[in-house]
Amino acid sequence: MSRPETHAIERLLDRWAETTARRLARGLSRRSVLGRLGAVLAGAATLPLLPVSRVSAAPSEPTPAAPEGIEGPEGDPSSCQYWRHCAIDGFLCSCCGGSHTACPPGTTMSPVTWIGTCRNPADGRQYVISYNDCCGKSMCARCFCNRNEGDRPAYLPPKSNDINWCVAAPSTVYHCSTAIVLGVAAEP
Amino acid sequence: MTARPALAALGIVAAASLLVAPQADSEPISGPRLDYVLHCMGCHLEDGSGAPGRVPALAGVGRFLRVPAGRAYLVRVPGSAHAPLDDSALAALLNWMLLRFDPDAAAAPPFRPYDAAEVARHRAAPLSDADAERRRLLAVLERSATTAP
Repeated sequence: MSRPETHAIERLLDRWAETTARRLARGLSRRSVLGRLGAVLAGAATLPLLPVSRVSAAPSEPTPAAPEGIEGPEGDPSSCQYWRHCAIDGFLCSCCGGSHTACPPGTTMSPVTWIGTCRNPADGRQYVISYNDCCGKSMCARCFCNRNEGDRPAYLPPKSNDINWCVAAPSTVYHCSTAIVLGVAAEP
Repeated sequence: MTARPALAALGIVAAASLLVAPQADSEPISGPRLDYVLHCMGCHLEDGSGAPGRVPALAGVGRFLRVPAGRAYLVRVPGSAHAPLDDSALAALLNWMLLRFDPDAAAAPPFRPYDAAEVARHRAAPLSDADAERRRLLAVLERSATTAP
């Protein structure tokens, strides 16, 4: 690129930057800019507090929407008949102050869990579901749901949902159960 | 003023979406990995770290292959022996697990993958006290490591 062309571009950029800066300065007070910037920074500063492990990858706010990017009608996660609950045995966390993917406040998600598969009627595929228990408060006792698809007797502990999966949590007291999608299972 | 909490929330959501990996894999989970997810991962966890004091970690699991009883141990433990899988599926799962959680040890010669016949043989004698056998084997392995030239 020749020098005169470079100068012309520089002048254009210069003018654009100046006009933009002036427009911003007219439209926004310094205090409002600092205020908004501070708010965003404060929001970003809380990031390290957000859970990042598999167990706590669930959204921090209870939400009825599907967070895992599954397409199709989501259904009602607080209903026992909800598709993900096909193998659950316990109280639905969505009735206990949490959601189907997040523990209620004051409880901790058990890292060890019972894992099964359920067919999603929206796309007809089998999904791998992790039924992590929430532990640390007495039994929620609301929305009991006992469907047991694929459940095996307690003498096959890894395949049984009768086990208290809070066994490896900081508190072994069972409160409620979540139903977290881990992925799509290949059809046999 | 009302914009601040909204902006702060936006900041959290925007940054969180960068940090939190998508939970559901887009690729279907299949083969030995699916068997691991369905039959092992609930306790051993996705990264094989287990639960200290309750569920053994899978890191370093390849050391058991150094002695014949250790090779048998990986099949005779309750989680393997009683898994609702046939012998060839269990062999494939064990080979996958070794390469996944202890790639160096498993890949080092002479790594001999399990096959259905070997699994069937060891499976016929499940362990009644897996903890005791584990402790015994670890002691044997430690002794052989210290006496090695």
